[in-house]
Amino acid sequence: MKLEKCFMHAFNMALHSKLRSWLTILGIVIGVAAVIAIISMGEGMQQSMTAQLSGLGGDIVTISPGFSRGTGMFVMRGGGGEGGFSGGAQATDKEIVLSRSDLQALKGIPDIALIDTNIRGSVEVSYRGKTGKVSLTGVDQRVWSQITTNKIKSGRMLDSADQNVVVIGGRLASSYFDQPIGINKMITIEGSAFRVVGIVDDQSTNIYMPIQMAYQVIEDKKNGIYDSFVVKIKNEDQLDEVIAKIESKLMVARHVTQKDRDFSVSSSRQFQQTRAEALSSLNAFLVAIAAVSLIVGAVGIANTMFTSVLEKTKEIGIMKAIGARNPDILLIFLFNAGFIGLVGGVIGIILGTILSGFMPALMGNLPLMRGTAIVSLNSIIMALSVSITVGVLAGIIPAYQASKLKPVDALRYE
Amino acid sequence: MKMHDVWKIYRMGEVEVPALRGVSVEIKKGDFVAIIGASGSGKSTMMNLIGCLDVPSRGSVYLKSQDISKLDESDLASLRGKTIGFIFQQYNLIPSMSAFENVVLPLEFLEYDDREAANRAREILISVGLGDKMHHRPAQLSGGQQQRVSIARSLAGDPEIILADEPTGALDSVAGIEVLNMLHRLWKEQGKTIIMVTHNLNLAKYAHTTIELKDGQITRISENDEVNKK
Repeated sequence: MKLEKCFMHAFNMALHSKLRSWLTILGIVIGVAAVIAIISMGEGMQQSMTAQLSGLGGDIVTISPGFSRGTGMFVMRGGGGEGGFSGGAQATDKEIVLSRSDLQALKGIPDIALIDTNIRGSVEVSYRGKTGKVSLTGVDQRVWSQITTNKIKSGRMLDSADQNVVVIGGRLASSYFDQPIGINKMITIEGSAFRVVGIVDDQSTNIYMPIQMAYQVIEDKKNGIYDSFVVKIKNEDQLDEVIAKIESKLMVARHVTQKDRDFSVSSSRQFQQTRAEALSSLNAFLVAIAAVSLIVGAVGIANTMFTSVLEKTKEIGIMKAIGARNPDILLIFLFNAGFIGLVGGVIGIILGTILSGFMPALMGNLPLMRGTAIVSLNSIIMALSVSITVGVLAGIIPAYQASKLKPVDALRYE
Repeated sequence: MKMHDVWKIYRMGEVEVPALRGVSVEIKKGDFVAIIGASGSGKSTMMNLIGCLDVPSRGSVYLKSQDISKLDESDLASLRGKTIGFIFQQYNLIPSMSAFENVVLPLEFLEYDDREAANRAREILISVGLGDKMHHRPAQLSGGQQQRVSIARSLAGDPEIILADEPTGALDSVAGIEVLNMLHRLWKEQGKTIIMVTHNLNLAKYAHTTIELKDGQITRISENDEVNKK
């Protein structure tokens, strides 16, 4: 029998089959939908990660006081390029800080293009009679605009001549106070008035201001003491070498050794890479779980095929009597199993795509899951081929059994 | 078609039950043969062997001078498809297929061209008087009509031999006679070899040669030249 005829018969067989076939298909549908939803979620995460990664720039290095002997990942705060370390694990009498001498040491490294000095603190801010507590970052306004990964939504960045002006986070501007804060509005920070010149395109309530002004508004920060340095290096390819140089220079400047080191040097790229690795292993784990349901679906197909062969024994006998060869019967049943897999796969993909649309909502505010789920062509092709393969594999033994039936016995079967 | 000292032994657990015990017979091309015998006489076994549905335990069956026990299953299937048309007592049509599809099916196994197969199936169904019921399912047809579909199916591949197993067994007498007349015409007008297995002695009078079986052995072979005159 010709191949397309075998396929037609398999198709008709599936079409005329009962509820049982549909239940079997449902098993595959659930498996494929789960795999698709999880893979697309993973790809969404990956893509937002890549976007963040490139947005951050691979040429930014952050130096902060304190040092953790751990892997580093767990002491970080997801504050983007300027996010620093949280004091580290050491608790000594003297507070560990970065000082002017450290800055001088950094300036002596020729591979560094720009250095931004930061201080941070929590400040009281009021606007039109309402007051709140938000975090404030003092930045070197001469270089900040060239180093920061923040994007300006309206207004402008800080620049060299600025003094009593601030750039504020998107949420602070839009919804933190009863009324939105617009460009050129005055806000009061710790009793002093500042003019808003720019609004950042993000969802933070952060305030950025020139560092000299920040020393005045943040209570316990003394001039010449820094919370972190953010440096931009000249050649991104030399990131690792430059990090090593910075570390050795600073160790000399701070009179510490590798053993009692009290500062950290990190690049956003390293951080993101660690995060991406953790994510992809989490993802693989989820896919493995979803794959289990696909396997259960495959067992369902095998079960249905065995029953179907039993049910169709007489028809197999008839077909053999009128000239069907063993491979004809084998192919018809194999195609039938593959077809069940295919239909299950197609419906599963549709369901999985719909499901993955809800995924971000289901995951809530998990910081890992910022991106939307992306159903890629790859995952569709993969899911389809897997479901067909699963169907065919599950159908091999029953189909072989069917093809080996003796015509006399099969004809006698009632 | 020839059988030489054919034995067929079935195993029922420890016990061996011989269904055929040294049967030798030759059926000539173009003959109308009735194999008659009571149930358990071995006539079904004999039909299975003639129809290449089974191979003998001992002895040889020659179909078109090929020893069927030397052929593999696929070759047997092809030989069946090309040489033999089956008509069963229970019609054995595929219930999910229309009359037309049932008749086309053997042609698909023979890898006929689609259009040729469709034309042939239509022609044959018209010739058995089912031109208006081609797209009915078996369940929508009467017993006699179903048997005619089954005859049409047996003729589709233009086989030399038509093998009919109790073709009238499930039919009332009118429909039964109709089927027998049809077989008779196939024999007379198209020169087919007809082999009919039955327990009904009355049917034997339609046949030219009658082979009587008892306890797995041939007890009598008789020829009836009267039928030629019908």
